[in-house]
Amino acid sequence: MDYFVIAIIVLIFFFLAAAVIGLLKGGREGSDKMFKALRMRIILSVFLFIFLLFANYIGWIEPNNFNLLPTQ
Amino acid sequence: MSNEKYYVPHGTYWPIIGSIGVSTLFVGFANQMHDVSWGWPVMVLGFAIIAFMLFGWIGTVVSESVGGLYNSQVDKSFRWGMSWFIFSEVMFFAAFFGALLYARVLSVPWLGGEYNNIYSPELWEGFKSAWPLITTPGEVGQNGVTFSTNFKLVDTWGLPALNTGLLLTSGVTLTYAHHALRAGHRNALMAWMLATIALGVVFLGFQITEYGHAYHDGLKLTSGIYGSTFYLLTGFHGFHVTIGVIMLTVILYRIQKGHFNLENHFAFEGVAWYWHFVDVVWLGLFIFVYWI
Repeated sequence: MDYFVIAIIVLIFFFLAAAVIGLLKGGREGSDKMFKALRMRIILSVFLFIFLLFANYIGWIEPNNFNLLPTQ
Repeated sequence: MSNEKYYVPHGTYWPIIGSIGVSTLFVGFANQMHDVSWGWPVMVLGFAIIAFMLFGWIGTVVSESVGGLYNSQVDKSFRWGMSWFIFSEVMFFAAFFGALLYARVLSVPWLGGEYNNIYSPELWEGFKSAWPLITTPGEVGQNGVTFSTNFKLVDTWGLPALNTGLLLTSGVTLTYAHHALRAGHRNALMAWMLATIALGVVFLGFQITEYGHAYHDGLKLTSGIYGSTFYLLTGFHGFHVTIGVIMLTVILYRIQKGHFNLENHFAFEGVAWYWHFVDVVWLGLFIFVYWI
């Protein structure tokens, strides 16, 4: 579960970075690349938020019991 | 491309005005931190000078761009400049998230004797090594330091969850605006931009309301490491949303003026990326600050 959430977050950052590369490139090709990367970014973010709401609702994730952050 | 000359900016007074603004801001800020009465108004004056400089300088750049003074070499310089700005923003928030995770994953467990099992002092009565660190020393009587005690945590499923939905929705509306710009649908572009700005403003309103509730419930900057990191992260994020709303409004004004076309809309792209980044930062805050 935690690795799945981390993987989605990493993917979101990957698409943000891809958008920067598109921005840097410029022109029609760079503009296309940027738009598509940002579109993927928002799709993944909305998916992650809905997934987290669902996981919380059915009890897959409990606050402060995520195994990502070991606390006493 | 190769026969285009390197753009040499003309003489301008904006940089010195910016320097005066930043100096005024920090003199005011430093004195405000020392409870000097004139610190706060001087700080506000510094902000006002910087705002004046930003609008004046960016206004000059926009006029030059619309006037056709820039070539492809200038376009490339703008793109590199934005990329370095993006890099600095990523590192800015990486440092604050790093501080949060360091305190949470390493230093608080260390203070409870975790990992080494040697150093496990009773730091103060009721100290419990856990996150959020909700037990504070209270009145410690040294250097006049008093920690806020008995504070409540912000309810994750109240305003923070609603704000996450709002900001993500603004990311969707901005994506529709971006699509409309690329498709040449001007009216749709303006409508989606307005929706994005409205969602950002509502987000800020809720954030101010949430701060009011949190402060009323005793959660302050003096609430130990939890209160400090909470306000540091959410406060700087709120500041970025404020800047983002201002930038989106300027872009909407420029759309209305007809400054962009299908091929040339770098300013829109720069601001769009900034807004998407601020959106992602909030998603991180919702997960790591408000929730788990």
